[in-house]
Amino acid sequence: MENQTAEVLVLGGGPGGYTAAFRAADLGQRVVLVDREEALGGVCLNVGCIPSKALLHAAKVIAETKEMSEHGIAFGAPAIDLDQLRAWKQGVVGRLTGGLAGLAKQRKVTTIRGYGRFTSPRQLRVELAEGGTTTVGFEQAIIAAGSEALTLPFMPASDPRVIDSTGALELTEIPRRLLVIGGGIIGLEMATVYHELGANITVVELLDQLIPGTDKDLISPLTKRITRQYENIYVKTKVTGVQAGPEGLTVSFDGPKAPATDTFDRILVAVGRSPNGKLIGAEQAGVAVDDRGFIGVSKQMRTNVEHIFAIGDVVGQPMLAHKAMHEGKVAAEVIAGKNSFFDARAIPSVAYTDPEVAWAGVTENEARAAGVTYGKGVFPWAASGRSLTLGRSEGLTKVLFDEESGRVIGCGITGPNAGELIAEAVLAIEMGADAADIALSIHPHPTLSETVGLAAEAFEGTITDLYLPRR
Amino acid sequence: MAAATEVSVPDLGDFAEVPVIEIHVAAGDVVSAEDPLVTLESDKATMDIPAPAAGTVGELRVKVGDLVSRGSPLLLLEVGGTDVEPPPLTDQQEPPAPDAADPDAADPVAAAASRSAAAAQAAMPAPAGGPPVTAVEAGAPDGFEGVHAGPGVRRLARELGLDLSVLSGTGPKGRITKEDVIAGVRGPAASPADAVVAAVGGIPEVPAQDFSKFGPVEVRPLSRIQRLSGPVLHRSWLNVPHVTQNDEADITDLDAYRRELDAAAKTDGYRVTLLAFLMKASVSALREFPKFNSSLTPTKDALIYKSYYHLGIAVDTPEGLVVPVIRDVDRKGITELSAELGAVSARARDGKLDLADLQGACFTISSLGGIGGTSFTPIVNAPEVAILGVVRSKMTPVWDGSAFVPRLMLPVSLSYDHRVIDGALAARFARYLCHLLEDVRRLVL
Repeated sequence: MENQTAEVLVLGGGPGGYTAAFRAADLGQRVVLVDREEALGGVCLNVGCIPSKALLHAAKVIAETKEMSEHGIAFGAPAIDLDQLRAWKQGVVGRLTGGLAGLAKQRKVTTIRGYGRFTSPRQLRVELAEGGTTTVGFEQAIIAAGSEALTLPFMPASDPRVIDSTGALELTEIPRRLLVIGGGIIGLEMATVYHELGANITVVELLDQLIPGTDKDLISPLTKRITRQYENIYVKTKVTGVQAGPEGLTVSFDGPKAPATDTFDRILVAVGRSPNGKLIGAEQAGVAVDDRGFIGVSKQMRTNVEHIFAIGDVVGQPMLAHKAMHEGKVAAEVIAGKNSFFDARAIPSVAYTDPEVAWAGVTENEARAAGVTYGKGVFPWAASGRSLTLGRSEGLTKVLFDEESGRVIGCGITGPNAGELIAEAVLAIEMGADAADIALSIHPHPTLSETVGLAAEAFEGTITDLYLPRR
Repeated sequence: MAAATEVSVPDLGDFAEVPVIEIHVAAGDVVSAEDPLVTLESDKATMDIPAPAAGTVGELRVKVGDLVSRGSPLLLLEVGGTDVEPPPLTDQQEPPAPDAADPDAADPVAAAASRSAAAAQAAMPAPAGGPPVTAVEAGAPDGFEGVHAGPGVRRLARELGLDLSVLSGTGPKGRITKEDVIAGVRGPAASPADAVVAAVGGIPEVPAQDFSKFGPVEVRPLSRIQRLSGPVLHRSWLNVPHVTQNDEADITDLDAYRRELDAAAKTDGYRVTLLAFLMKASVSALREFPKFNSSLTPTKDALIYKSYYHLGIAVDTPEGLVVPVIRDVDRKGITELSAELGAVSARARDGKLDLADLQGACFTISSLGGIGGTSFTPIVNAPEVAILGVVRSKMTPVWDGSAFVPRLMLPVSLSYDHRVIDGALAARFARYLCHLLEDVRRLVL
């Protein structure tokens, strides 16, 4: 391949990278996009958000058919064809990544497949996937190099029974007993899938609750449900060693309720992700990378080097596709001369577990820690007609308000479809809505979205669907 | 690879959406620092945008006729011979959010001011050989934390370079709306007036007529200056309740003195006109009657008194009326003012006035002295509160108590904003002004 030049180089073709590349192209820039994978879309499309959601949908169907057997509709045990399920999942991924390739072509974005490393502040060297190397000279660059799953040092090397989220999504087999190390979003989503496909799940988490940091009242319905479903959930527990044997992987634990050792067929390691800042020759470009591999940026996504920008997982938490996409647009727009800033007031997070857990803005934990005087309105889904017709009653919707201004500062929702419901709260926070604005907006009945309006009514004291003693 | 600097419209004052009337360079041209790149026409003046550094012109981002505002990209400039690694990002590029350790944080206005000062520094063109300057990070303060405005409004404010933290919202519960941002950019002088017109639903249009039914006609466009000044005059006329006070001054002695000075000045290449004396007399009268040197606040419940004396002088040019401003008239003598008037008038007629030449007047003088007439009603240049019109002086028989004597009399017409100035005060101001003109010795006191 001939050496290339670009007005804008984008390193990394994940959601942040392709969004930045497409936006820059739409603003008249000549763009080269470098990604090492065969298909654009990064972790999210290929081995993250999208394939996991396909499998979670399958898991949900199984769970719902089981539940309906108690209400007069019995299906019997599902016949699971892993190959067919995997092919369907891969089909969804292929359709989306194929769409991206088409979008890149329509915008005349040049895509180069290979591993890119900076060699100077104005040049990137790419080890091409097809063999050989090429260089890309650029006027400005956007680093969207993403992150990788963290590994644990004491894991047996190259044992196929130890997998990360990518391995879990490959769905090579359903183990009889699966240990999930890490009780965060990724570990619990994979646990949801494997549980419904028939595995016995044990989850081990170092800290004192699942999805650490999230408000306890939001997590508790999830914890309650999966405690019933799973074999074991060990919190405040450390994995101290793993012994690979022919019968299985023998794991040593150190925690209040865990046994000293136990043996599993497979281990899923989901202990977090590490940014790829140290893997791209950033020092050759003069871009500062911290010890953990993060690249510091301004609110215009500019690094310490004037003409080099960085976005997405590589610039910091939360490592979420939707954050990266918005940052990508900001970087592209700034490069094109627009005065854009990343000034989001709320970035929603969603765990697509069953029930789903979603939150945005300030959490109650954060508000307490920061000494913010806040008020809250809570609506338990046990009083929601729609939730009960879904056969579920454990959810809740909680909206936090600034006591002084009355404006919404945060929201947390647990229950089926919480991830869809949280968007209303994000809009409310961005628009500076207060409790009355939400409570007086008519929500359709009977829906789950109604619970957001009812939580605001609970705060206002105008709710009639619950009886709350006067505050 | 040379550094491609984007040259954008610098902050040249309070204007937006002005047309590019000339482009002096083409892609590939080599320019030196300060060479004119494009010419913009705004508010009755033309402005050249100079090259910030020597280099080669790259892609042009505008064409003649495009409307531009501060920050609009004009062209790319490959700054000559640079391949230097840019220095690390400093706080100047993006001012940090104020925090507890920031001494400015306690005072949001000061903090905003210091942010815009930092921003202004960041917007300075880079010296030749420096890194490319996109000037984008300079446009507005970051975050707008705590400001009650949705994301769309925040983006609009950044595009327009407006600091939302100093704006108050008119939306529900004080939310800043898009309209507030647009009004904020137009400035306090313009928006209330527009709002009044909008609030009463405008004024009835004069019905269109087909004049060709009555005879042959031809349509010729107004000059650009007329098109610009028309709405301004209309706005003043609609907003200011006008009254005009007429008086006359005996300038027989003053004129004799002026002729002496003028004869001397001619050898130095300028003329001493009556206008310079009118300016000095006006400043003395403004000092005596400070209400004439004030403006109404936008809420119209207070007066803003000015303790400077900048006078607007209406100048007739081939393209229409322009009003350049002579600054600090109180600190200048007759000869200095005469020389400055000559220079400014020449620049006005050549269309070479800078925007700064046209801003900041406290009071305006409109002289038709070269033509004739007996009196007229000048329109107050709001937010100023008064304007002095003079017509041609005339030798008149004046009764001195025992006989008619020939005296040179100057008719003056003082229009004023009756919301601020009442009739008696205006009569006193006019009389005081004439009194000064009648005895030239008082002027120099």
